[in-house]
Amino acid sequence: MHKIEGSQATARQAAELLRSVISQQRVPYTNQAGALIDAVRAVGEQLIAANPVELAVGNIVRRVLHIIREENLSLATAAIAGLNLSAASDGDDDDDGERDEHTVLSAAAVAAAARSTLRPPSLQTLLEDMPESATIPHTTSSGGDSEGKSKSADKSSRTRRLKHDIIEAVNELIQDITTCHEQIAEQAIEHIHQNEVILTLGSSKTVLEFLYAAKEKRRSFRVFVAEGAPRYQGHLLAKELVARGLQTTLITDSAVFAIISRVNMVIVGAHAVMANGGVIAPVGLNMVALAAQKHAVPFVVLAGSHKLCPLYPHNPEVLLNELRSPSELLDFGEFSDCLDFGSGTGSPLLHVVNPAFDYVPPKLVSLFITDTGGHNPSYMYRLIADYYSADDLVVRGRIASGKLSSDRFCLLYSR
Amino acid sequence: MWCRSASFILDKQQNDTVSNLRNPPDSLTPASPPPLSMPDTLQNPNPQNNISAYYQTRAAHHAVVTSDWLAQAQAAVTREPDGAPDTSVPPVAGKPFSVIDEFNSWRKQPDLAEAVAAIRALAAVIRNCQATTMMELEIELKKASDSLKLWDATSISLTAGCDLFMRYVTRTSALEYEDFNSAKSRLIERAEKFGEISCKARRIIAMLSQDFIFDGCTIMVHGFSRVVLEVLKTAAQSKKLFRVFCTEGRPDRTGLRLSNELAKLDVPVKLLIDSAVAYTMDDVDMVFVGADGVVESGGIINMMGTYQMALVAHSMNKPVYVAAESYKFARLYPLDQKDMAPALRPIDFGVPIPSKVEVETSARDYTPPQYLTLLFTDLGVLTPSVVSDELIQLYL
Repeated sequence: MHKIEGSQATARQAAELLRSVISQQRVPYTNQAGALIDAVRAVGEQLIAANPVELAVGNIVRRVLHIIREENLSLATAAIAGLNLSAASDGDDDDDGERDEHTVLSAAAVAAAARSTLRPPSLQTLLEDMPESATIPHTTSSGGDSEGKSKSADKSSRTRRLKHDIIEAVNELIQDITTCHEQIAEQAIEHIHQNEVILTLGSSKTVLEFLYAAKEKRRSFRVFVAEGAPRYQGHLLAKELVARGLQTTLITDSAVFAIISRVNMVIVGAHAVMANGGVIAPVGLNMVALAAQKHAVPFVVLAGSHKLCPLYPHNPEVLLNELRSPSELLDFGEFSDCLDFGSGTGSPLLHVVNPAFDYVPPKLVSLFITDTGGHNPSYMYRLIADYYSADDLVVRGRIASGKLSSDRFCLLYSR
Repeated sequence: MWCRSASFILDKQQNDTVSNLRNPPDSLTPASPPPLSMPDTLQNPNPQNNISAYYQTRAAHHAVVTSDWLAQAQAAVTREPDGAPDTSVPPVAGKPFSVIDEFNSWRKQPDLAEAVAAIRALAAVIRNCQATTMMELEIELKKASDSLKLWDATSISLTAGCDLFMRYVTRTSALEYEDFNSAKSRLIERAEKFGEISCKARRIIAMLSQDFIFDGCTIMVHGFSRVVLEVLKTAAQSKKLFRVFCTEGRPDRTGLRLSNELAKLDVPVKLLIDSAVAYTMDDVDMVFVGADGVVESGGIINMMGTYQMALVAHSMNKPVYVAAESYKFARLYPLDQKDMAPALRPIDFGVPIPSKVEVETSARDYTPPQYLTLLFTDLGVLTPSVVSDELIQLYL
């Protein structure tokens, strides 16, 4: 896992891995979705534990879990609807309107209940019935039990269909991840105008495509690239931009404040977007965001939907950060004396801290551009509610803090 | 108090004339004492001088009771049975059953939130009503909830509770397919269950907020709030190390009660006078407050002093967290502090105050959403803007 760089590649790999997990998983006749969810969750826990800082992996695991739930639900409701149809045709000779109505009612109720389990809790569901029994396994079995004669044949076809549908949906997800650059880049023309000056820091594939898309549409503008110490990925970006024919200026990170008054818009990529609209971004971006705020320059963050993380950041500067090797900053040959544990008091006098990420608080971000369009930071929670089901928020927490979070899990769902 | 003139003198005159207009019907009822000419009497149908009924509940549930206040409360309680139902509302008063009596009996229970009491009272209305169709039942419920809301216009969670339940009765899909009697019993059952939901909501909030309380942090709280206490209790039980700064919460000193409860849990707690908030804010890592009501803008209405605490915290870059159950979400959009009917309370200054001196007796203030960081509710951890989204989804 560590070998893969960049959240997009990781996300795609994770989705592909989970797809193979699903296709290899043998599903029992009853509670197929439950078995699949357990399998995916088990693999997901391992993946997340392997690199907790790469939030995209967790996001993908949650997305896949959500897909399984959704597919199972749509299949179950379809099955019930089909059952009702057959019941209605059977019921003709019985002349039993009452029973008929009853099945329709129960189907509607079950569907509503199942839908409400997928939905995040809301005021609306506060007073409405939350039948605890009507969760996924229940709907599956109830759909199957009353089917009667063509039971076994129907069942096996349903097994195959569920798996097939899920894999189809996961394929779509993978497709989305691969094409998210293009969808974001399509919106470039709305944001970049003639003769503007754009500032960016470090390197991001999304930003590159975004800028290039604007250039393709015959907008002429100038790009300032801050080099992004200590990895200097800005150099690579500048090279790419020039290769594609954009007017580019390379600056040091420390020149950002000096240059910001000439800039019309800051466009950057992100490592992850948290539920409150905060951004985990390459180190140095908080400084850029503060400079942009000081000069009222719009700070725009590009993020594919796989970067939306349903968690709230707690102490993100430390907990969601990765401390990289000092060798990126210093030459070991020159500084090895200072860093030596053996000399003097036993601990070295020189410490090197090389964090990989910055946390940019939501109030510094003007706009998020995702594959679904532009959004305000305070609106991110809504996108997240669409992509994830609330059951899956604590995939990792269950290992980390054991009983407490599983208790919370129960609490949220027993309501 | 929606129409305010620019000058407070004009304001006062206007209010006086209005209250004079409103006085005659009030003085017809023999039991009620002569209403004071305070402009806010008309906001508060409760006959016992100018203390809001909302405040009485709060005081009974939260306060460290002062002797002076006790005497007043006593008077209020003894007078209530004959006073309240008569003065309150014509539509219900004619019948033997009164939704307000019901509500009053429920709200006396110390652990019951006001919204829950309101919903229980409405359930009692359903139980007692002779309606035979859904429509009749709805009309009757509407009357009852209106009278309940009118009886104490100052209580936000009462209004919110009534609205939420009415919304459930009129719009819910679960009732569509059923016949009248089963629908009725289902409504009653849901209303009864609501009490449990409210207790569970507190547990959920406490769980959600645990991630935000880290070891070694200092938390500032204001006044007494059951949810905040639950949050801190849960944190203490999960062996977190933190200390709490409690404001005193003048004049009813609700902060003292919270500090007592925290001391029982062995949480290091320091008591501040209300004016020491800015002085101590430097040492604080986060501010935790409860809420009487969460309004549509995402702001909160809470005990007096919350606004200034939020302002101080905001200017010092400290997060302000609000813990509130979702049934406190109210369809209000206050534009400034004076937009809502003020809930009045007695203030004991210790020394006699000359009659010429005016006293600000409002019990709560409005904190705009830009000063709040996150809201912990049973719907999850929300940013203030989510609140309006939720409310719009529910009532649109």
